[in-house]
Amino acid sequence: MPGVAVASDTVTNGALVPFSDDGTRDSLPIYPLNHGLAAPISRLAISWSRGNSLRVSLFSAEPSSGSPGAAQSGVGGKVVEVKLGGGDPEITDAHLRRIAYGSVPPFALLQSRRSELSVLSKAPSMATTYHIDWWEHVLEYSKEITSLLGGPKSPPNAIIEDPGEIVKTGEDPTCLKAAWELMEIFYADKQSQAWLPERLVDWLADYDSLFSSTQETIHSKLVDFQKELVNIQVIEDDARYWEVMSSALSVGWLDIVVKMLRLHGSYQLDQLSNRELENGLVEALAVLISKMPRNRPESPAGKLGECFKSKPDFTKAWERWRSQITKLDCSPFWIQCDNHQTREGLKNMLQIMLGKTENLCMATCFWLELYVSHFLYIRPFTMGIESMYNLAQKCIQLKPSSRTHRLTGLMIGIIGENTEVVLAECSREFGPWMVAHATELLTAGSEQAEILLHDERFNLGGISIVELHRLAYAQVLSSHALTWQIAPIYLTSCMKQGMGLLENLLYRQSVQHNDMLLKNIEICRLYELDHISSNIMKVAGVYHWKHGRKGAGVFWLQQAQDATRLNRIAQQLFDSVGKSISDESFKQWEGVIELLGSESKLAGGLEFLHKYRDFKKSLQQLSSGKSTDAARQATGSLILLMKNPSTPQRFWLPLLFDSLKLLNWHDCPLLNVSETNLLLNKLQELSLARLRPHFIKPNLPPEAISSIRLALATNLGRAILDE
Amino acid sequence: MQTWAKKNLLKTLTMAVLSERQGIHRLPQHKYVDAVRWLPPLSAFDRFAVLALFDSDSDSDSYSIEIHSLQQNPLSLHPLSSWTSPSRISSLKTSQFLQKTIIAASTFSGSLHFLFSNSSDASLESEVSVPEGALHSVPVSCVDLMDGGGECVTVGEDGKVNLVSVGNSTLNYRRLFDSSGLVSYTAAKWASPVEFATGGYGFGLQWWDQRKPGGPVSQFKGNRDQKLTSGIVHSIDIHPSRKHTCLAGGSLGTVFAWDLRWQQQPIILSGAGAGAGNTAVQSISESEVWEVQYDRCMKSNTSSTRILPAMICSEDGILAVIEKGEEPIELLAEPCAINSFDIDRNNPLDVICSLEWEAVAILTRQ
Repeated sequence: MPGVAVASDTVTNGALVPFSDDGTRDSLPIYPLNHGLAAPISRLAISWSRGNSLRVSLFSAEPSSGSPGAAQSGVGGKVVEVKLGGGDPEITDAHLRRIAYGSVPPFALLQSRRSELSVLSKAPSMATTYHIDWWEHVLEYSKEITSLLGGPKSPPNAIIEDPGEIVKTGEDPTCLKAAWELMEIFYADKQSQAWLPERLVDWLADYDSLFSSTQETIHSKLVDFQKELVNIQVIEDDARYWEVMSSALSVGWLDIVVKMLRLHGSYQLDQLSNRELENGLVEALAVLISKMPRNRPESPAGKLGECFKSKPDFTKAWERWRSQITKLDCSPFWIQCDNHQTREGLKNMLQIMLGKTENLCMATCFWLELYVSHFLYIRPFTMGIESMYNLAQKCIQLKPSSRTHRLTGLMIGIIGENTEVVLAECSREFGPWMVAHATELLTAGSEQAEILLHDERFNLGGISIVELHRLAYAQVLSSHALTWQIAPIYLTSCMKQGMGLLENLLYRQSVQHNDMLLKNIEICRLYELDHISSNIMKVAGVYHWKHGRKGAGVFWLQQAQDATRLNRIAQQLFDSVGKSISDESFKQWEGVIELLGSESKLAGGLEFLHKYRDFKKSLQQLSSGKSTDAARQATGSLILLMKNPSTPQRFWLPLLFDSLKLLNWHDCPLLNVSETNLLLNKLQELSLARLRPHFIKPNLPPEAISSIRLALATNLGRAILDE
Repeated sequence: MQTWAKKNLLKTLTMAVLSERQGIHRLPQHKYVDAVRWLPPLSAFDRFAVLALFDSDSDSDSYSIEIHSLQQNPLSLHPLSSWTSPSRISSLKTSQFLQKTIIAASTFSGSLHFLFSNSSDASLESEVSVPEGALHSVPVSCVDLMDGGGECVTVGEDGKVNLVSVGNSTLNYRRLFDSSGLVSYTAAKWASPVEFATGGYGFGLQWWDQRKPGGPVSQFKGNRDQKLTSGIVHSIDIHPSRKHTCLAGGSLGTVFAWDLRWQQQPIILSGAGAGAGNTAVQSISESEVWEVQYDRCMKSNTSSTRILPAMICSEDGILAVIEKGEEPIELLAEPCAINSFDIDRNNPLDVICSLEWEAVAILTRQ
């Protein structure tokens, strides 16, 4: 944020207050800090923490030497986390995560379909079908997302309907869902383009209650009236009854209106006889309302109104309906109706149905309701989006409101066919999840929008707007411990910078716990990032090694095929093996040696351990029996070990010392001349190495060297004689 | 992207078929579910599940073990009682002992906790614990409670094997073995009151006998020549009627059985590494198999050489029953990982499992 600084004096009050010059003070959020430090604060550091929170480190001032009391109370500092707002007030973090999880499969499916189609569309014959089918895929995607955003619109109908219940209060709708559906209506659902106004009527019926947060709405009027209903004795004498009814009629909530009309006192059995005429008028209106022609393929089951799919049919029906209304309006019965309230109320409703602007204006609460009433009664034949923007402007002028609702901005952007505004509103009001997913709807909407959003931009570092928003959303996911695993799906759909960020994300994960490490490696496997997984395994190997878990360290380094590090740790391992060389505790090394397996290529310098174990084993067998064959085998392994360049020099002497028994084998010499010479040479090399500074003295009796030399010399003599 | 989507497109299609056939209920928890178990039944009508949860929404991360009661129509879980854990739960087991239900839980910080629940309403009554550092210095990889007994074995990556006996309100523990980090253990399972098996890196399995301290009695190491690529064992199961056979599941979709009588010849039931040149083995998953359990409801022919059918859950979202030489039966195919599952002992048709995306799924097989 430019122009935001921290005033040092505010810190002492324990609050962190951002301020700027332009006087928009009330729009700036203030976050109090509960740091509990008594001493004045001398230093302050702020950094980003996990997710949408800031980590604030506070350091209190050094207490002056004269006040020892201060030294005890709250000296030092404290680190506090401040969770920044900006989340959706209607939706909890946990619910938002659920939406994030649920939107992964539809998003991934749509992306894979896109790539499949882009392959197909390269063949010229397929190019035409591509555009026809694409919006259907997007619509399917959109429907799945909608189902995530909330349950069914209305609760299942109760078997016994409450006659006093006018408005159904089911699950509270959310603005997020309303916004998504609005975008679906305008961009994804090409089939309903012909009856766009009717879709808007339905949309408002579902979500009018949302606008109650900023202003009075017809929904809120209805709810208030319903609460009063039990206290009203004679309903038709109440002015609010007529007012609420005409309001509901103006936005086309026909069911509610008819239901309310039937609450009219003239329907009561004891009054039916003397209010026959009045009741006839009420019923006539109710019938007319329930027969209102609508230009749409179908209504939800049980809804009133007659649906006409084709335009000519609708026009014919509309004209007939209007003429019936006019006829009723001019009927002589009105004069005979002696109930003033009923007469005026019904007349007003007739005017609404005849599309009188003043009556509609009176009946509706804010511009969107007026807008919808225009489609219903003044311009029933509106097609397409062209004229809709001008009408909206007109309605806003007729019903100006002081506060704008967050859905209003989005609505105006959509009607104004301004993609940038729609994007900006989505981003500002509904957050990164919305933008990242709604761009799919926007690009399906028009070719222009697609070009705008997919165009690579220099000022964005060469990426497109779509990619920018996906990256932003992926960053949000990455910053949370539970959602980082789904970030790769969005990152890999970003052509330019996605893979780089994915690598960063994978490297950043902790290797401490096996489960998380393995989940990380699994993602690498899924996206064929072998070099990254091998690096992660190396990190894990070194981590475990450093923390004393030698077996785990060796395993991960082996998995990473990291010969360099295996050789390094082999040297360290030999140090500890060397100490316990003559011990029986060599048994405890069995586990690691088993782990190394027989494949020497993966073990690095550690293969020595394996051979060494085998040698030890054959020596042990020797001590039990006296078979020359076993002795020959052991000698074979000894020679192999001594010949092998990977056998560390420090093991030469202990090896030879251990095999004294073999060298002095009494039945026959086990080593031939050249083998004995090899061992003698090694012994010579060792004596020279003794003089070097880094020589590690083996833990053997001092006469070891001389006894080996003697044994070798004896063996050499016997071998020469044999040959 | 493409691989992921294709895999999941297939999953969505199969799930549509599967969901119709079986009762599958996904219940969102709004918290990460580290582990899930059925509680041994207290009465014929009430059923309870234990969940180890990790809540990231509160200011500081909080960990808890919650007992939920299962309600029908619609099927749902209702929290009954909760216990706050000092650290994240790494392993969770339940058992019945002395007319009480014991829940054993180990944590990432190395501590071990026993919770006792009331036998009438499943509410948590008391807790005894072994503090961190006493048993393990690092996360306890696995705990296992002896069936109907108070003996508990704990193993860790630090290479320590401990035995803890739970009395009415007392705890005794002793270290059976310490490899000083040379060998790490990641799984454990009792075979008999004195014997148990452990698993670890390199598909290694160890067989232990309390009467013979100083090291494992027997060891198995999966080698390449046995058609097992290297990986980690995540879970072991031993069937009470086949104490000589140890069923293990781990990396690369590997599930194998180790028969103590034919020590160096594992019977491979599934595994990516096994696929090459070994077409007899079906591989249902290619990623980590987090848990294996013998499927208690399958009535197979009971020849003693045959390996009983096993249920597995995996990182790539599969819950399936596999059997040697048979086509695997897929019960669930989720777009996210299935981290643990448990088969109800008294009603083996019911399976509960924890999903990566903060949810629990309950399956009723027909």
